[in-house]
Amino acid sequence: MNQGNSPTTTIEYNDRAVRYFMLAGIIWGLVGMGAGLLAAFQMYFPQLNLGLSWISFGRLRPLHTNGAIFAFVGNMMFAGIYHSTQRLCKTRLASRALTWFHFWGWQAIILGAAVTLLAGYTQGKEYAELIWPLDILVTLTWVAFAINFFWTLARRNEPTLYVAIWFYIATIITVALLYVVNNLQLPTSALHSYSIYGGVKDALVQWWYGHNAVAFFLTTPILGIMYYYVPKAANRPVYSYRLSIVHFWALVFIYIWAGPHHLLNTALPHWLQALGMIFSLMLWAPSWGGMLNGLLTLRGAWNQLRRDPVLKFFAAGVTFYGMATFEGPLMSIRAVNYLSHYTDWTIGHVHGGTLGWNGLMAAGMFYFLAPRLWKAKLWSQSLANLHFWVAFVGILFYVGAMWASGITQGLHLNAVSDDGLSLKYQFLETVQTIRPLLLFRAIGGSFYLFGWGLLMLNIFMTIRGAEPVNGTVEVPASDVEATRQTEGTIGWIGTVFNWPFIYSAFFIFGLLGWIVGQGLGDAGDIIQVLGIGVLTLTTLTCIVHFQVTGRKWGEWYEKLIGNWIPFTVLTFLAVFIGGAIQIIPTLAVQRVKNLEDRVQVPYTPLELAGRDIYVSEGCYNCHSQMIRTIVPDVRRYGDYSRLGESIYDHPFQWGSKRTGPDLAREGGVRNNIWHYDHMHNPQEISPGSIMPPYPWLLEQDADYAAIPGKLKALRVLGVPYPEMTPEEVQAQIDEQAQGIVDSLHEEYRTADKDKKIVALIAYLQKLGTYEDVDAAQARIESSKVLE
Amino acid sequence: MSTPTQDPNEPPKRPHVYDGIEEYDNRLPNWWLWTFYLAIIFAVLYWFTWYSAHYGTSNEEHVNKAMAQLEEAQLAALSEINNETLWQMSQNDGFVAKGEEIFMSTCVSCHGADLKGGIGLNLVDHEWKWGNTPMSVFTVVTNGSPDKTSGMQSWKSQLGPEGISQVVAFVLSHHTPEEMASATTLNTPIGQ
Repeated sequence: MNQGNSPTTTIEYNDRAVRYFMLAGIIWGLVGMGAGLLAAFQMYFPQLNLGLSWISFGRLRPLHTNGAIFAFVGNMMFAGIYHSTQRLCKTRLASRALTWFHFWGWQAIILGAAVTLLAGYTQGKEYAELIWPLDILVTLTWVAFAINFFWTLARRNEPTLYVAIWFYIATIITVALLYVVNNLQLPTSALHSYSIYGGVKDALVQWWYGHNAVAFFLTTPILGIMYYYVPKAANRPVYSYRLSIVHFWALVFIYIWAGPHHLLNTALPHWLQALGMIFSLMLWAPSWGGMLNGLLTLRGAWNQLRRDPVLKFFAAGVTFYGMATFEGPLMSIRAVNYLSHYTDWTIGHVHGGTLGWNGLMAAGMFYFLAPRLWKAKLWSQSLANLHFWVAFVGILFYVGAMWASGITQGLHLNAVSDDGLSLKYQFLETVQTIRPLLLFRAIGGSFYLFGWGLLMLNIFMTIRGAEPVNGTVEVPASDVEATRQTEGTIGWIGTVFNWPFIYSAFFIFGLLGWIVGQGLGDAGDIIQVLGIGVLTLTTLTCIVHFQVTGRKWGEWYEKLIGNWIPFTVLTFLAVFIGGAIQIIPTLAVQRVKNLEDRVQVPYTPLELAGRDIYVSEGCYNCHSQMIRTIVPDVRRYGDYSRLGESIYDHPFQWGSKRTGPDLAREGGVRNNIWHYDHMHNPQEISPGSIMPPYPWLLEQDADYAAIPGKLKALRVLGVPYPEMTPEEVQAQIDEQAQGIVDSLHEEYRTADKDKKIVALIAYLQKLGTYEDVDAAQARIESSKVLE
Repeated sequence: MSTPTQDPNEPPKRPHVYDGIEEYDNRLPNWWLWTFYLAIIFAVLYWFTWYSAHYGTSNEEHVNKAMAQLEEAQLAALSEINNETLWQMSQNDGFVAKGEEIFMSTCVSCHGADLKGGIGLNLVDHEWKWGNTPMSVFTVVTNGSPDKTSGMQSWKSQLGPEGISQVVAFVLSHHTPEEMASATTLNTPIGQ
């Protein structure tokens, strides 16, 4: 509009930071995926654990997951967000200092994580393994990122926010919320802490986090990136603005509720299991909304796909997104989950998302950016095309092998003998059956990593000797003026007192009344009926109002996207509700006094030392401690786990994958000698086992000196330990350890009572020990712990 | 602010362009809308029936019932097993061969291929820890050793009465009734 008459200002983008993040993403991609590949080969050749503590599977796998998520996708996402946000806002990044603090802070976290994870320092919660000092650094860095981002929005020269920005906003605020809440912990030393949540509470919070880390770290930022780079690369208009609106709000509101689908058929209360399942099913369409907008934007550009590797990567990436987001709801159906849970199917599902969606989108974006951030042509189009096909075949190998493996093992674990009186296969036999598939998976992964090597070569050759260029834009003064006028047009009253917001608010109140009322017994019935009434009435009124009067939400929404603060607040509310309704009641209700049958007997000091070793070695990566309420689990591992049986576990160790068998009732099943020999060399006792050996447990001393402090911390968290002096603690440790040492000596195994193996055996022999609620209540009273 | 170029043959575009990106404002596909609506309707129905109305049996009820039935069937199968039948089985080549197969895959790592023990006890000497009758051996294999920190685990769910009787028959095939009756028992016998 009248650009010719308006004076312009030239703005130079901060593309140097984009280049740094991009190169970091490429390098960390190699490291993260390389660690994954080694771990994959370890599962076929357990010898590759080399008997070395720092490279054993239980420590390597967290390095792989954290590396791939936070180091690889993290840096890639920051590159994409910083590059596209500046252009979508026609302004330079707000703060140079914050940008570089963000970059170097993030790289420092990654290095710190790599060292501490391999050294065995972990919180023992999946994708939240980083120890507390690193968590603080993550928080500070994320805050710097957030300030920098929102400050940039505030200084924009573009009146309204493009859909990509909506997704970036959702990412930044939700990841902050998830990360802080899930990582609340009580430090016992500079390197160790206990989660403030125990048992089911920890499980719920962790999977609210874990599921939404997938949602808001691996999905929403990449959707934002899709919305910028796909139309750019295809030079086509986005398919549908209104689809963007509907799927964005549906996605951010619904996603957050679905976490409990990671805990189906467990001791998790039924209402949470039901919510986890139904919200996952309702998530299917909103997820596919993103896929549709991506793929349909490519309409009319399909012929370009043949020669343009960038579009190939994007088209395939979005397709894999569609596949993974169909598979996810499918696996959230309780009956499907019965078979799929704890098997490789989950691993296949995740890698369809990460290798297919994240990895291919990252590659497409990097190939798009390299020639634009440096003055150069892409070194080789055909090499990029080769990368695409190698990666594509690699994914198919990987995912196909994991589907076959997961379904096969699931069926075999559930199979019974002809007379129905015994299980058909022992756990180890099912492992033997799927072993070839584990090799196939590793081969698929090798293809994929080889493809990444091609990308590295191609980009290195492209930018070698090329001159870095920073993008610029001419901003007419009229744009600046228009933007200043838009910001502030809606105000708080305008945000809240309008039909879309009022209907949404009533709708959500109705929903909350319905769900919460359900849990409040007779008194809750009224709330429930009221909730359902409000919900129905709101929905009907809303439909009638907008259909009959022909009113549109559009006008209000147009204002909203011109005002970043109200937009951000509404997004925060949308993501906050689902988590709050699940977590707050659970934290309030799940206490010993409200439990029904069994309660865990707290660990003795020696057993606690053993448990810390179990967590530190990452045993939870392969062993669950949760016997589900399904017949095959109960037949194999014993009576199903009760909610109270892990209530004092900080952190919980229910696990998510059974590469080895469940250990919830391992105590007393096998003898001390068996455990000793098995830890020393699993293959000797269980021929064909793929468990790594743990010879260092026989040599290293357990840290008994730290136990009194740890007991104190757990007392603060509500575990009913009596007050004990350090000498009393040591005396208890000595006595119990001596008993185990004696039993080992009887069969000519030598172990000093300070060794880690002794503590670990004590822990394993305790698993599954419970008492009834009355005894547990008496214990709490005598310990004077405030529950 | 830049505005899009509108081709009259194309659907209308949004009035605003972001860094060269234009947007159509196409209607939402009906099949997509219906997928969403049906998921919502299913969610409501599921919540009412499975959770609110407790329609059908819960997981816990189902497991408890199935396990009770299983126990009943296992007990029925056990009623046919006694000292005499176990000795008979130990004379039957087919039974012993099946038992040997199980022993060599499941028991060998602790009891050794020669049955002379290792982590586990020697099964071919003249000493029995929990009783010198076939049923004592059968009971220990079924329920595991009473001594939980140094004894054997239970094999009930993995082998079942049939598998256990086969593997016990294999062990008994290394003994005779007379020899076994004269062997020493270290603890109070179980499962006479």
